[in-house]
This record gives sequence, structure tokens and C-alpha cells, in this order.
Amino acid sequence: MQSGVPIPIPPLFYAFAALATLYFAYNLRRAAAARIGRPDSRAIDWWALIPNAITYGIAQRKVTSFKFGYASVMHLLMAWGFMELFFATSVDFFVERGWFAVWLPAKDTPWFAAANEVGGLALGIGVAMALWRRLPRNKPALLPNDAFSGRGSLLGDVGILLVLLLLAMGGFMTEAARLAIEQPENAAASFVAFSLVGLLSLEMWHSLQPALWWSHAALALTLIALLPQTKLFHALLAIVNAALTNHAEMGQLRPMHITKMMSDPEADLDSLVLGAGQVQDLTWKQLLDAQTCTECARCTSVCPAHAVGSPLSPMKIMQVIRKQLYDQTMGGKEAAELIGANAITAEELWACTTCGACAQECPVMIDHIPAIVDMRRFLVLSEGAPPEAAASSLEKTAQHGNPWGFAHETRLDWAADMDPPVPLMAQKQDVDILYWVGCAGSFDPRNQSVTRAMITILEAAGVDYAILGKEEKCTGDAARRIGEENVYETLAHDNIATLDRYRFKRIVTACPHCMQTIGRDYAQLGGQYEVVHHSAFIEELLEAGKLTPSQTVDGKVTFHDPCYLGRHNDQYDAPRAVIARTAGQDAMVEMELSRGESFCCGAGGGNMWYETKSDERVNLARFDQAIETGAETVATACSFCLIMMDDAVKVRGKEGAVAVKDIAELVAEGLTRDG
Amino acid sequence: MKQIPDPASALHIRADELWIDESNLVYSANESDTYALEEALLLKEAHGGEVVVVTVGSARTTQMLKDALAKGAGRAIRVALEGDGDLDSNGMAHLLAAALREEAFDLILTGLQSDDAGHGQLGPMLAELLDLPHVTLVVATDIEAASIKVKQELEGGWFQNVTLTLPALLTIQSGINKPRYASLKGIMAMKSKKIRDVQPAGLGIDPQQLAPLQTVKRIYLPIKSKETVFLEGSPAEVAAQLVDKLTNEAKVL
Ligand code: SF4
Ligand code: SF4
Ligand code: SF4
Repeated sequence: MQSGVPIPIPPLFYAFAALATLYFAYNLRRAAAARIGRPDSRAIDWWALIPNAITYGIAQRKVTSFKFGYASVMHLLMAWGFMELFFATSVDFFVERGWFAVWLPAKDTPWFAAANEVGGLALGIGVAMALWRRLPRNKPALLPNDAFSGRGSLLGDVGILLVLLLLAMGGFMTEAARLAIEQPENAAASFVAFSLVGLLSLEMWHSLQPALWWSHAALALTLIALLPQTKLFHALLAIVNAALTNHAEMGQLRPMHITKMMSDPEADLDSLVLGAGQVQDLTWKQLLDAQTCTECARCTSVCPAHAVGSPLSPMKIMQVIRKQLYDQTMGGKEAAELIGANAITAEELWACTTCGACAQECPVMIDHIPAIVDMRRFLVLSEGAPPEAAASSLEKTAQHGNPWGFAHETRLDWAADMDPPVPLMAQKQDVDILYWVGCAGSFDPRNQSVTRAMITILEAAGVDYAILGKEEKCTGDAARRIGEENVYETLAHDNIATLDRYRFKRIVTACPHCMQTIGRDYAQLGGQYEVVHHSAFIEELLEAGKLTPSQTVDGKVTFHDPCYLGRHNDQYDAPRAVIARTAGQDAMVEMELSRGESFCCGAGGGNMWYETKSDERVNLARFDQAIETGAETVATACSFCLIMMDDAVKVRGKEGAVAVKDIAELVAEGLTRDG
Repeated sequence: MKQIPDPASALHIRADELWIDESNLVYSANESDTYALEEALLLKEAHGGEVVVVTVGSARTTQMLKDALAKGAGRAIRVALEGDGDLDSNGMAHLLAAALREEAFDLILTGLQSDDAGHGQLGPMLAELLDLPHVTLVVATDIEAASIKVKQELEGGWFQNVTLTLPALLTIQSGINKPRYASLKGIMAMKSKKIRDVQPAGLGIDPQQLAPLQTVKRIYLPIKSKETVFLEGSPAEVAAQLVDKLTNEAKVL
């Protein structure tokens, strides 16, 4: 299909085209709205700029992701069809003027003509699929319909689809008219338009041709001019946003360096922005993220908090940020508050477990968690308003170095009866492995058993290791994700100072939250450590033949992927390999939502320390998914997942029927059974 | 406000059995004092004025005072003292009264009692020394011009409303409000607030007045004397056994 430009092209067309381009350029100022945001501490990866734009913007890798289905096909057809037609029209335009003639295919080159027909067909079919999906009776529950939907944008949601459909049909008709009149040699290659030629007589084509051509041209130019005001703007922004995304930093919270500021007498404390209460407190990249949101609702459809009926919807968060941004930059509003009854509520913010499912699903590289935590920072650091239970836990963390508020004195009590005594860094000074026990591993009875299992394993494999004992403090993970960056930084600096006093090759920990915090978050404050999760470490020991556990799991076993091990740190195979060594053949049964699609246990993001309102607790929902597999053992590899699953066993009355185990326990039991 | 060993701490008795071993302890603000502070801050927010936090204690109370300043108190006064284990309520009341006389307060709020010694006497003693009207166990306050109406908790679920003319002293019951969380904004504002140390010697108190009126003879952990007996048999038999035990062993019937 081709636009069938009449020759010579009328000057009026040029006038229209110039106007449209000018208006488009003027409209592009919307994109610049993001510049009111703060500078971003994330570096732009210049080398990845173009590859990112191509992979995510053009090739749309994330449109497929886990949820490959109707919507993916629909979108790829529309997007690629649209791109092909854009390309074809440009080529036509150049060819008409004889520009680049050596390289470009002529209008009637058969393969080019056919390709263009495919482009038009793809767009048409895609649009038809999208319209079908939007019929009220087919509408997925998650398609937005609230006041914040930018679907209140020009032409809305269905309007823009109708315009696209008209464009596709108009293109075919214009081309058919051209074929009828010019009768080119390879007319049949334009197979769709060619089949339309017979519909009308030559005279009729003659008389209709100008109207067809002009209406098609006018519609196309108008669409270009208005594009930034419609939801199609996402097509451009997505390419820019994907290009500017620093993939290595996705999900990472931005550092605030509060301690540095507070201890520097020269520092201008007023310049410290305490979280995001208004749009301009977010960084330009976060604002660009929100502008790019396509309102596809994929994030919300995988959000565990949303699934259990909490008011949180990550998509809505992006919509509100965008609405407030446009209101403030172009709507003449003075200051647009992000948090409030008519914007994002505190309740929504607190419901987020920072599980990362939303960002993983998002096709346009939006990073929800840091924006959510920035707003939590505002609530905590500026307003002093964390949830009540969280406040008490934060005070305990600051006071006692653990969120439970146990006396720091008792941190090593779990090891009192260990034989041989557990070696301390203070005695050994220099070891291969520093085993980080963590607060849960030290104080929570269920996790103390995991700690003992780890000690059994370390001893059995003859590892040169030691622990910090009472020198260890909470890593500050929960404090940080609750938004209490001040408490987090204080703990982090203490721990970094402690760790830097000793020599060790690697840190091993059984808690993915500790791994994330020490291994990645501390780097922002100058602490560089190689932290290995115990699943990877145990696998290493098994591979090296240093451990030969007997089989400890009878019956089926399923594995709950901890978000901070899987999605945040991309480790899925090691725990499964460890389970395989302790369970019978084919004992492993996967849950429907596993690996990258895992459904959070509900404890992350500090949610361990406070409750939010929902219809069902997240951990119960996850536990139900686990036992649906028929597994008698639910294995996991995270201190908090263990507590959550253990709690669910009791609530669901499955004690005795279903065992909840950390992978280290499975291995250690196999070692002690050997004697 | 008083700083006390944190309730979560593992307590060990000092070798002389006269007090607990204070090394390795974590200290925090006494619970009902934090409610008194919050009540003061709420009153200030509603009616204006200034909240001054006052304590008796050593340098380690700095953390508690800073916390109070971060939450919104305007300044702090500390009657500097090394350790406060040797002073009884009477001695402390005299020190505080002397320090407070230099200020022109409308209202003094204290916690109901300290969670370590648990005497609950400081408030009333201080009021007497300063010649102020006072009410203990306050669960609600309401300022009306030059007076304050308070709700006092009595025994057995009873309450009474009392109106006092200002200046006055109240001892606050835990639970009267929700103590706030110190925001970083507050902590930053705290940096420019002052803690004024007052030396006891400079207060012109007769040392005799500070001499303890009560002395601790010995402290020890409560002796566990709980004995649980399960009575078995049919309900009628159990009832008969119970009556027997209550009459002959417990001698309550
Ligand atoms: S991180 Fe998880 S809980 Fe939070 S909004 Fe995203 S999907 Fe929902
Ligand atoms: S944030 Fe991403 S996943 Fe969510 S609606 Fe917007 S574009 Fe879709
Ligand atoms: S506790 Fe486990 S599943 Fe739950 S948030 Fe943490 S890593 Fe995710």
C-alpha cells in the first residue's frame, strides 16, 4: 500500500505539511515538562543509548515478556505496521523527488509494494483487535477508567484507534485509485489495494481520487501535528525513555547522603530534598517515566498488593504523577501535590512490597519502586508519618540495631550452645567467608534454625569462616524501603566501618534482603563487597563435592522465589539446584507464578513491620498458590519469606501436612542424617 | 523527662545488690514522659507558646533531649548530674523546683511515673514545692483561657473532670495521645536548638534537702512462687476439690 502521491505534489500540501510539522514541534514541548524534575544521580549509559532504543523502543522486547498473548500480538501488529507505513511514506516522498534514488526502492518495486501492503494490513488488523478488546463486554477489568486516566487525552482511547483505522483504510483506497488510474506494471504486488480496484469503475476512481488523496493526507498530517496530545505520544516517549534508562540501576533507590550533609558544617541543609511531596521533587527521569506510561495496566495486573485488594495500583501512581506534572507545567497550577486524597494516598504507598513485579512487566522501562519510596521518604523524613507500627519498629532499629527491638546484648544468644563454638571475626580477623547472620537469623526462632543449619554446612564443608556476632547490626533494608533513609544510612555507615576493620574474601548470607543491601546499596555509600546468597554458595560447595547430603525431602516440593533473590538480583537456578540434590527425582513442582513472575510473600519493602488494609493477606495468597501444586514441602531462601510462609501454614491449619523449609535446612538435615 | 534503662534491656543486678548494673545498658525516654511531651507539643500547636523539656541526669540524657527537640520542643534544660540512681523523688523534685523557678511556666507536664523506680511521686512533690495546683493520672486536657480542664483517671474505670487555674502541674497517663515520630526535618531543625546545663551547685539548694528520704536495702528479682495444680475428674468432683482447696489451703472461703 502506498499513499499514491499525485505528481506534481500541490503546493497546498506543502503548506499543510509545514504547518503540521510546526505544530508538532510546538506540541513536543510537552516532553520537556520533565525538566522541572531534579537532576538524576543515575548515569546515562551512552553506549547503550541506541541499542536500548532499538531493543525496547523499536523491537519492543518487553511488549512480549511473560504475558505473551492477545495484547502482545495486537500491539506488535499496530506498532510495526505503523512503523512500516511511516517508513514507506517517507520513501515514497523521497522517491518522488528523486532523492537517494540509488538506494531506495521505487514505488512499484514488487517486494516493496507487497511489504507496504503487509504494513497496512498489520495496522488494520491490530487496530481491529484493539477495538474488539475495548468493547465493553470484552474489556479487561484492569483497563483504567478513573479520573486520572490520560485516556482523557485528545481523542481518548477508542478515538485514536478509529483514526488509525481510517488511516489504514484511506491508504488502501488511495492506492487503489492510483493503481486504477496509472495501471502500473506490477499493480498486483499491491495485493490488497489491487483487489479493491475492481470495486469501482475507472471513472469513479478518477472522480474520487483527489478527495481520497486529500482526505488521507490531511488526516495523516493532523495526526502528526496532534500526536503529542494523544495517547500515541507514548510511541515516541517510549523510545526516548528506553534509550535513557540505566538498566543496571533499575529498582535501585537513589542515595541521599544525609549523614554526609549533616556532618558537614558547610553543607546547605535546606538544599536536601526530603523525599517527593511534589512533582518537582522527583528526578527528571522519574517524570519522564510517568509521561511515558502507556496505561497498559500490566504493572497493576501483576502487583501482589493489588491482587489482594489493597488500593495500590502502580499504573495509577504513574498516571497521577503525569497529571500533576502537566497540571503544573502546562495547566498553570502553582504546586501540584503528589500525596493526598485527590492524588496518591499514603495507604497506597504503604501497600507496596517493593517486589519489583511492576517494573519487570512494564513494556516501557518505568521504574516504579524508587518513585514510590521517594514519596514514602517524604512521608517519613518530612512529615514524620510512617505507619504507626513501622514507626515503633524504626525507633527500635535505631535504638537496638534490630527491628524487633530485642536487646542488642542478646544478638548472639542463638550460638550459646553451639559446639564447636561459632568463630567470631574479632578472633579470626582474616577469613575466606564472612557469614552475615542478619537480624532474623539472630533473633527470630524460625530463622535461628536456618542459621544453625548454615553453621552445620559451613563446618561440614570445612569452610574458613567467621561471623561478626554482636558487632553486626541491622543492614537497614526495611528502614530504607520504608523511606527512613536517615536511620538506614546510620546503620549502613556503622556496618561498613565494622566490615572494613576485617579481611575476608566474600560475604555469605541467607537473606536476600541483606544481600541486596550490603552488596548493592552499601556501594552507594562507599562499601564495596562481594556478597553471595547462601543458595549460590551451597550450590558451589555441592558442585565441589564438599557436601554430600542425603535425600531429605520426601514427596513433592515447590520453591517460592524471593523477590530480592530473583527479580532484583536475577538468581533463579541455584536454589533449584540445591533442592534437586536433597529431593527425589521429579520431586520439584513449579508454581504457576515462579521465577521472574514470582508473587511476593508480602513482607518486602518493610511490610514485615506494619499492616495495610486489604481483603486478603499477601502471604496467604502466595501460600495457597504453593499448596495448589500439591507440594508437601514449600522451600524458600529468604528470612522473611520463611516467616511469612510459616505464618501462613498456621493460619491455613496445614501444620504437619505442609513443611516450610529454607534450602539450607534441607541440606543440613541431610548432613546430620548421615551422622 | 527521665531517661531510664530501656525496657527491652537484659537487666543484671549490681554486685552490692543496691541497684542494677548500668554498664552495657541501652537507655531510652521513660514511656509516660513521651506522652507528656506529645501532650505539650499538641497544646503548643493548638495554643501557641513554647515547649521546654527539662531533665535531671548525666550527659547520656543528650540523646533523649535531642529527640525531644527534634519532635518539636524549643529548648532543653538539664540539671547536670552524674547518674541519678542515688537521688530519690524528693531530691529530684528539689533540683527541678530550683531550676524551674527561674522560668515562667504556664504548665508543667510530667509522666505519671518512671518505669524504673515507679514511685509516681515526683509530679505531686514538684507541684507542692512550686506551690502549684496539680492533677495526677491525666487522660485528656482542654485549655480554656487562664485555666485548664483535665480528665483524671480514677480506680475501677471511673473518671473525673477537674478544672485548674494556670500555672498548674499535670502528670500524664500513657495512652493519652500518640507520640509522634521524629522526622528528619525535625532533626535538622534540632541542630540549632540549645540544651542548657544547670549545675546543681549553682541552684542554691541546701544539700540536706537532697539527702534521700528513703534508702534501698536490697534489690532482687521477683521470686517465682507460682504453682499450678490441675484438678482432674468430673465437673462435680473438680468443683468439690476446688472448694476444699479454697477453704483449707488458700483459706479464702
Ligand atoms: S513493587 Fe510490587 S507491590 Fe510495589 S507496586 Fe510494584 S508490583 Fe506492586
Ligand atoms: S507503568 Fe508501565 S506497565 Fe504500568 S501501565 Fe504504565 S506502561 Fe503499562
Ligand atoms: S520476604 Fe521474600 S518474597 Fe517477600 S519481599 Fe522479601 S524477598 Fe520478596
